[in-house]
Amino acid sequence: MARVVVTGIGIVSPLGVGSRAHWEALIDGKTGVRRVAAFDASGFACQIGGEVPAFKIGDFVPKSYRKATKVMARDIELAVVAADDAFKDSGLQSQAYTQTPNFDGRRFGCNIGAGLVSAELAELGAAMTTARSANDPNRLDLGQWGKDGMTQLTPLWLLKYLPNMLACHVTIIHQLKGPSNTITCADASSHLAIGEAFRTIQRGNAELAICGGAECKLSPMGLLRQTLLGRLNVSCNDDPGRAVRPFDADAAGTALGEGAGLLILEEYDRAKNRGAKIYAELVGFAASQDSYQVTQPDPSGRSYAKAIANALADAGLTAAEVDVIVPNGLGIASHDRAELAGLQTALGSAAATAPVSPIKAQTGSLAAGSGVEAATAVLALHHGKIPPAINTRKPLGGVKLNVSPQTRDAKIDVAVSSVYSLGGQNAALVFRKV
Amino acid sequence: MNRVVITGMGWVTPMGHNIEGVWKRLLGGESGIARTTLFDAATFPTCISAQVKEDYRLEDFLGDLGPHAGAGRNTRFALGACAQAWKASGLDAAKLDMDRVGIYLGSGEGSLDFDAYSGAILSGWTAQSATMDMTRWAAVAFERMNAVRELEQEPNMPLSHLALLTGARGPALNCLTACAASTQAIGEAMEILRRGDADVMIGGGAHSMIHPLGVTGFIRLTALSTANEDPPRASRPFDAKRGGFVLGEGAGMVILETLQHAQKRGANILAEVVGYGSTADAFRITDQHPEGEGAIAAMTEALADAHLEPKDIGYINAHGTGTRENDGNETGAIKAVFGEHARKCAISSIKSMMGHLIAAAGAVELICCVLAIRDNILPPTMNLQNADPECDLDYVPNKARRAKVDVAMSNSFGFGGQNDTLIVRRFVG
Repeated sequence: MARVVVTGIGIVSPLGVGSRAHWEALIDGKTGVRRVAAFDASGFACQIGGEVPAFKIGDFVPKSYRKATKVMARDIELAVVAADDAFKDSGLQSQAYTQTPNFDGRRFGCNIGAGLVSAELAELGAAMTTARSANDPNRLDLGQWGKDGMTQLTPLWLLKYLPNMLACHVTIIHQLKGPSNTITCADASSHLAIGEAFRTIQRGNAELAICGGAECKLSPMGLLRQTLLGRLNVSCNDDPGRAVRPFDADAAGTALGEGAGLLILEEYDRAKNRGAKIYAELVGFAASQDSYQVTQPDPSGRSYAKAIANALADAGLTAAEVDVIVPNGLGIASHDRAELAGLQTALGSAAATAPVSPIKAQTGSLAAGSGVEAATAVLALHHGKIPPAINTRKPLGGVKLNVSPQTRDAKIDVAVSSVYSLGGQNAALVFRKV
Repeated sequence: MNRVVITGMGWVTPMGHNIEGVWKRLLGGESGIARTTLFDAATFPTCISAQVKEDYRLEDFLGDLGPHAGAGRNTRFALGACAQAWKASGLDAAKLDMDRVGIYLGSGEGSLDFDAYSGAILSGWTAQSATMDMTRWAAVAFERMNAVRELEQEPNMPLSHLALLTGARGPALNCLTACAASTQAIGEAMEILRRGDADVMIGGGAHSMIHPLGVTGFIRLTALSTANEDPPRASRPFDAKRGGFVLGEGAGMVILETLQHAQKRGANILAEVVGYGSTADAFRITDQHPEGEGAIAAMTEALADAHLEPKDIGYINAHGTGTRENDGNETGAIKAVFGEHARKCAISSIKSMMGHLIAAAGAVELICCVLAIRDNILPPTMNLQNADPECDLDYVPNKARRAKVDVAMSNSFGFGGQNDTLIVRRFVG
């Protein structure tokens, strides 16, 4: 079975565009959670979130591909930018940059997790207004819409919003023709996508893969949906940086963010032979499912624990060997309690001693973009630094974790990143120093 | 590496919702396509579709709906199909290690709450500035939208509901790779079993895009047939007068098991899954690769994975959408892979009768491959009356055909260049 290493990292997060910008702001303890600026959020109880700093998508695609950026929803843009970042980091020359790539595209897979992509409301508004009902101006006249209104939408409208378009644009831009997949398991998408890509290389279906995920839930529909579910902190509009408090006794709800985190995985010998910069080896992956409720995690954390324990077993490692954990740490008290129970089951006494970096405090919840957390775990291992837990002060339910408000230096050989989704999917990844 | 077999199947389709009844209708060349009634599509350029009929009631499968009462339309299909497959497999949760039972679906997103969604948009639209007033939008949206209905649109919801239904706690994933999704899901589920990360996997998919915006999206892409006047003849795969696909909806589910697990419990083994190939065209988001490069690679990879030669394949359940582009390209790709044998191999598209179930299509079509092997009969491609020089293979035109088939291939190709191929074989021990 092939060994698999990480040779490229691409990150777009509320802390910065590019993995370097993200990492520096993260270890500086900065926050990416701010008042929403992309749209007028005054009609929402929660008016904060983690928005990615401004970028121009045209700067991240080949000139010949700029026209296609018109059919990219925000989620797609985030994935495309992160992919550019990952390729530039990896030393792999794709057709986006050269006529003579230094890899065989047929052996390069792509698995980019995605969420439910929200349509741009203004675009629909402009079209729908031409088909208002005569009796009720706030109702769409389907007859008029079918006859004429729908022609106001660009012919390619649907393709902006299909979740697999994140991967499709990336495969086209970089000419990747190997196994391509799109995992759509909400917050667990990225980790599952990385795990699945890992398996394709292990079993020899590919020798390279770009994997992770991207999502923008910080849209009006995303904010609305999460508000309806009561998951957001609505009391921190004036102090957004304090809103997300993972594993804290004052955890009062999460905040949404947007972002993309992608890894380039490479078969070990290939990476070694080309003299690639090797960040870490991906040594363990496991997935599991709660069978409890759709909207609440199993309070026992049973299946979440199973994912972590099985990933460690897959890696041939024990809990005592874990040097840093980037957990889900959502900042919703009931969820964090369930996660703590799961961590204790999976790690035993190491749950209290292994350093924990709950980075959603600084980025918000990136949903399918949580590949940022997996990538952060790899960067922590690579740099020998444990990112801070800026908002974890009083232990939730008295459960003590090894957290610090400041970044700490440490020798890190093993890093774990684990997630669970709204819907009960769990996944864990284990990285080890080569 | 573990061998992987199918031990249970279920579906909810536009032609019914039990395995044997739908199979009989498919062999009889019937059609599930009719005027759209889920919404008033009278003025839409396409006003026909293949809807799951009103006699489908989830209660008939689950009894009390319990935690599934608020499930979306696609999830309701998934639940009914899964309940059938689970029952047919004879699996008993009480006797299983449910940590070793997983689920891999290729399900689509749930349907929009269209009235509330469009109502909020119209309320927020400000003509003067041609922008959305988000405060007005939010006021209406919060008043009219419902938490559960909104959550149920997330594509992982069918998966989450199936976990509640069955108690499965093993690896659980959903992939949404457009029209290739459930084929890919079953292929990846097989890989999980081969590797030994689970003993049992529920694989398949569910989808419904028959709602105003879904239909609008496909109409704008000019992907749909506009032959509204004669719905059962509208879907014409491989016919010279084909003019697009007919949108369908539904779910297909199979129970996959390691051979060892199935034999140990004395399960009725329906077929063995022996090959899987998955590739990307990396060509255009709108078009397939004109030479079928990715499709060729997917079929070739599946054959290699199965250690089979093209001549071993007796039947191909084609993607066969009835669009000008797909059917010509797919024919070309089959010729490229199969060479001489392409002319001897029977090919058919059940989309001629059932329409295109999008993410769910592949699972339903794989079930047809298993049934074809079981019963030694091939479902026809209906409405194939006008020869197209581009499509000159044996498509089992208009009439089911008796044929002994031991190995069948199922193709699914998705928007954006996703290509997935599965191969199933008669189980012979």
